[in-house]
Amino acid sequence: MKNTKTEFRYFTIADWKEEEAYLRRRHQEGWRFEKVTFPGIYRFIRCAPEDVIYQLDYNPEGLADRGAYLQLFSDCGWEHLQDYVGYSYFRKPASAMQGTEEEIFCDDASRRAMLLRVLRRRLPPLILLFFLIILPNFLLWDREPAVRLLFGLLGAVYLVLILRFLLCWRRLRGD
Amino acid sequence: MDPHLKKVYVPMTETAFYILLCLRRENHGYGILQQTEAMTGGEIRLSPGTLYGSLSKMEKDGLIVFVREEDKRRIYRLTALGEELLTLEKKRIARLYRNMQEAD
Repeated sequence: MKNTKTEFRYFTIADWKEEEAYLRRRHQEGWRFEKVTFPGIYRFIRCAPEDVIYQLDYNPEGLADRGAYLQLFSDCGWEHLQDYVGYSYFRKPASAMQGTEEEIFCDDASRRAMLLRVLRRRLPPLILLFFLIILPNFLLWDREPAVRLLFGLLGAVYLVLILRFLLCWRRLRGD
Repeated sequence: MDPHLKKVYVPMTETAFYILLCLRRENHGYGILQQTEAMTGGEIRLSPGTLYGSLSKMEKDGLIVFVREEDKRRIYRLTALGEELLTLEKKRIARLYRNMQEAD
């Protein structure tokens, strides 16, 4: 019986809650998360099934000040697993939490602050890429139809992504 | 005082309140967590992501100041500005409490 497995999963950069749930589910099924590599290859090692909470933080400032940042998480019982495209991965067994399900954020203000950090870093490059490369390539008539189709599809994916971001942004402002 | 800061911190979140309250004495993030837990009989358990984010924001806003690092734990202390904001918040909560008592 194989003791490791790899899976491909794509989570857009605003999907970290789904990603946390996915890693927790695998661990409950007896697959402990080992690492993730570009562009979304998840590696697992077989283990005893256990309820382990996985959490992602996005804190460039924290990573610049790594020692103190990771020490605080480790003091609180969160094991640091790796950093990947700006996100830091942590986990803590539910059995180590006193009855309540802990998270690395304990109020909405700090959850909003994390989403803002993601948006500030990730949205501007996406918008630039869209207007400077994808949109012009799609609109220019002298391109091959296949090229236009490709950029059209890419453009649609980007539009959905940017719209999702803007919706998150609006929800935050509305709060 | 900067009116913007006053708007941001009064009223403040429970997390911010306990951080400022604890930092009247020098302390680090995990120490604040333990002290808050003890003060609230375990009802409020701060989380590391929230603590880290709040401490760096408060340091930038000048409410607290970095004192030194011990075993990779950053120790902070309240500034005069932090004290001032904490006092404003305490007054607000005292008024809330007084009115609640009178209404009962």
